Amino acid sequence: MSDYYLEAKNISKTYVGVQALSDVSLSIRSGEVHCLVGENGSGKSTLIKVIGGVVQPDSGRIVIRGREYQRLQAIDAIREGIEIIYQDLSLYPNLNVAENIAFNQTIESNSRVVNWKNVRLIAQKALEELGESLDLTERVENLSMSQKQIVAICRAHTQDCKLLVMDEPTSALTREEVDHLFSIVEKLRKTGVAVLFVSHKLSEVFEIAENVTILRDGRKVGEFKASELDNDTLIYHMTGQKIRYTPYEYDPQGSQPPALEVRNLSKAGQFQDISFKLAAGEILGITGLVGSGRTELALAIFGLNKPDSGTILIDGKEVQIRSPQEATRYGIGYLPEDRLNQGLFESQSIGDNIIVTIITRLLNKLGIIDRTSKSNAIGKWISDLKIKTPTSEASASSLSGGNQQRVVLAKWLATDPKIFILDGPTIGIDIGSKRNIHQIIRDLASRGIAIVIISDEIPEVLRNCNRVLIMMSGRIVKEYEEVSEVDEKDVVAVFSHDQPRGAVK
Amino acid sequence: MRSRTFQRTEFYLLLVIIVFSTVLTIINPSFLTVENLFDLVKSSSGMAILAMGVFVVLLSGGIDVSFTAVAIAGQYIAVNTLIATGIDNLLLAFAVSCAVGMALGAINAVFISVLNLPTLITTLGTLSLFHGALLEFVGTKSINTGGLPNCFKTFSSLNILSFTRADGTTYGLSVFVLFFIAVVLISWVILRFSVLGRGIYAIGGNFTAAKRSGLNIHLIQFFIYMYVGFLAGIMGVMHLSLIRYSNPNYIVGTELSVIAAVVIGGARITGGTGSIIGTILGVVMIVILEKNLVLIGLSSYWQQFFIGLIIIVGVSVTYIQNRIRSGRSALTAAGT
Repeated sequence: MSDYYLEAKNISKTYVGVQALSDVSLSIRSGEVHCLVGENGSGKSTLIKVIGGVVQPDSGRIVIRGREYQRLQAIDAIREGIEIIYQDLSLYPNLNVAENIAFNQTIESNSRVVNWKNVRLIAQKALEELGESLDLTERVENLSMSQKQIVAICRAHTQDCKLLVMDEPTSALTREEVDHLFSIVEKLRKTGVAVLFVSHKLSEVFEIAENVTILRDGRKVGEFKASELDNDTLIYHMTGQKIRYTPYEYDPQGSQPPALEVRNLSKAGQFQDISFKLAAGEILGITGLVGSGRTELALAIFGLNKPDSGTILIDGKEVQIRSPQEATRYGIGYLPEDRLNQGLFESQSIGDNIIVTIITRLLNKLGIIDRTSKSNAIGKWISDLKIKTPTSEASASSLSGGNQQRVVLAKWLATDPKIFILDGPTIGIDIGSKRNIHQIIRDLASRGIAIVIISDEIPEVLRNCNRVLIMMSGRIVKEYEEVSEVDEKDVVAVFSHDQPRGAVK
Repeated sequence: MRSRTFQRTEFYLLLVIIVFSTVLTIINPSFLTVENLFDLVKSSSGMAILAMGVFVVLLSGGIDVSFTAVAIAGQYIAVNTLIATGIDNLLLAFAVSCAVGMALGAINAVFISVLNLPTLITTLGTLSLFHGALLEFVGTKSINTGGLPNCFKTFSSLNILSFTRADGTTYGLSVFVLFFIAVVLISWVILRFSVLGRGIYAIGGNFTAAKRSGLNIHLIQFFIYMYVGFLAGIMGVMHLSLIRYSNPNYIVGTELSVIAAVVIGGARITGGTGSIIGTILGVVMIVILEKNLVLIGLSSYWQQFFIGLIIIVGVSVTYIQNRIRSGRSALTAAGT
C-alpha cells in the first residue's frame, strides 16, 4: 500500500506506567483530510507527537512515502514535510506577519544573515497561494485568532508541507472563521497535501473529513469513512457508551414571583432591550452566535458589566447589582466561560478552590479557618460532584478538563445559589464528562435552583433546557417555550435569517 | 504597528527631552552650549553602551543586573594587569577588560541557559558574587591618577573635533562618542540583520515556539550574556579613563539608572519589544535628569526617587497595555 503518504504502524507508548498508546495504526494518503477523534486522554496528542518525531514510541514503525523509520526524529519529520500546528500556534507575537511566516525557513536556510526582501517574498507567496491577504507589516499580537491561524498555516506551507497536522484548530474560532479555515484546508488538500485534523467537535468531523480514526483509552477503536458514521455511533465509539438525551421536564410550582426577572436591560453596543423571567426549578437556555451579546448579558446580571438601562428583579423585588459580591449576596452564582482564567486557581489545591467562595463561613470565633468544617465542606463537594482525585490536596491543574469544571461548579454550589448562570458549562470537555455535568445541572434544577445555561452548542441547550432564548446582535430574536419538538435545524434557520452583524447601535 | 507604537514612545520621549532641555536652558543658558553638550556626550557614552547591553537582554525576555559588577571587574583587573606587567597599552586594557566581561557573562549564561534559573535572581546573585570576588581576590585599593598608566589619560583627552575658546584653551568632542556609535551600529546590525539577532526577538516573544523552531537557544543565550559582558568591559575602561581614577567600588550601584533608561526608552520588561533609538533617547533623558536636578533647585536625592519612579511607571505601562490587549481579546472571544 505505497500510495499512503504516511503509515504509522502498531505504535505503542508507555509513560511512567501509563499506557498512552497501545498498538495504534494510522494511515493517510496525500490529498486526504483525516480526522483523529477521541476524548481527552485517549492518546491523540501522543500520537501526533509520535508522527512529528517529537516522541519516540516504545514499539511500532513509521513509514513515510514508503520509507521506513525505526526512530523518527523531529528533524526527519520536518524534512519529509510533516508540519504540526499545535493549539498554541507557536507564533511570535512581537514579530510581524512576514517574519512569522518566513521564520522557520530563515532558520533552516542555515544562513547567518536575514534577507528581508526574501522574507517578504516568501510570506507574500505563501499568502497568495492560500488566497489570503494580510498586512505583512502588522504585528502578530494585533491579529485575531483566525488571522493568527492563517499565519501559522502559511508558515507550515512555506516548509513545503506534505502532511499538515492541526491540533484542535477550531476551538477559539467563530463559525464563520471555522468555515474560512475549512476552505483553506480544502485548498491545501486539492494541492495534494494530507491533512490530519484533531477535533473535539463532532459536527466538524463530518463536515471536513473523508476518513476518521477514533481512539479510546490509547487504543484504536477503528477507522471509518466519515460518510458511514453518524453522531450517535461516533459518540458510542469514542465513549464506549450509548448516550441518549431526554429533554428536561420543568414542573411549575405554585405562583411565586420569578426567581430572576430582567426587564428591558440594555447596554450600548452589547445588548438591547432584554426581558425574560426565570422561575425556580427552570433551566433556561440562551444561545446565539459569538457576538450575540449573551456573555455580556450574563456579566451584567452578575454585577461585572454595568448596564445602561433596565431593571433586574430577584424574587419580584427590584435590585441593584453593582459587584459580584452583591450578586452573591442575592444568591446568584456565575460559572464563567473561561474557566481557567476566571474560575480556577490552577496552582492551588482542589480543596482550597472549592471553599474560596465560602471562606468567611468557615471561620471559627477567633477568625481562623476551622479545619473540621473546611474538610467537611470539601469532602461533601468532592463526593457530591464525583470529582476524581486521590486527594483534595492535589493542585487543580492536575485534574482533567471535566473534573476542573466540576471543581468550579462546586465552588459556586458551595455558596448555595438560588440562581445559577452557567456560561459555556462544557466548553473543552469531552463527551463522557459533558453528560455528567449535564446530569449535575439537571439535579440542581430539580432541587429548585433557577438555572441559565449559555452555550453556542445548540444541542446542549435543546437537550438540557425547558425553555430556550435565541440572541442575535444583542437582541432576543426568538423564544422556544417548549423545546422537545424543536430541532437543531430550526435554530440554525433562525440564525441564517440574521441581519448583517453588528446591528446593535 | 511596531514602528507606529515605537514612534509614539520615542516621540513623547523626545518631546519631554526637548521641553526639559528648554527649561534647563532658560534657567541656565550654559546648558545648551556646544561645550556642555560635548561634555554630556563624553560622560554618558559609557552608560549608553551599558544600556545597549541591557536592551539586548530585555529583548530576549531576561534581565541582567550584574553588568555593573562586570564592568568594574573588567576595569580593575585591566588596570592592575597593565600596572603589574608594565605594558602601557590601551588595546591590552580593552582586551583584558572585555575578556573578563565575556567570561563573567558566560558564567551568567551557564546559570540561566544550562541550569534554567530565573534571570533576575541569578544576576542579582552574580552581581554580589562578582563584586565580592573582585574585592577579595583582586584587591580593594584605589588607583589614583598618579599611578594610572598613561594610555588611559591619553585616551581620555583624545578628541575627534576640537575648538578653541576665547582664552586660548581648547575643548572638543571626545573619541568616546566613536565607541558609542560603533556599539550602536554593531547592536543594530546584529539585531536587525542576523538570524542570531532575530532569534533574540524570537525567544523574547515566544520561548516555546523558538525552541520548537529549532533555534539554538543555548547559543543565543550565551551570546546575549557574553555580549553584555563584552560591552561592560568596554564601559569599564572608558569609565576609568573618564575619571582618571580606579576604585573597585565604583559603577556598582548604578544598575537601576541604566535599566531605567532602557525601560523609559520603551523596551518591554516582559521581552520581545523595544528599539535602539528609544534606548538612546532613554539614556539621554536619564543623563539630563541626573546631571541637572540641582540646576532646577532639587536636591540630588531626587535622582534616586525619579529613577525608581521611572522604572515603576515604565513597567506599569507595559502591564496595563498588556491587560488592555488581553482584555480586548477576552471581549472579542466573548463576542463584542
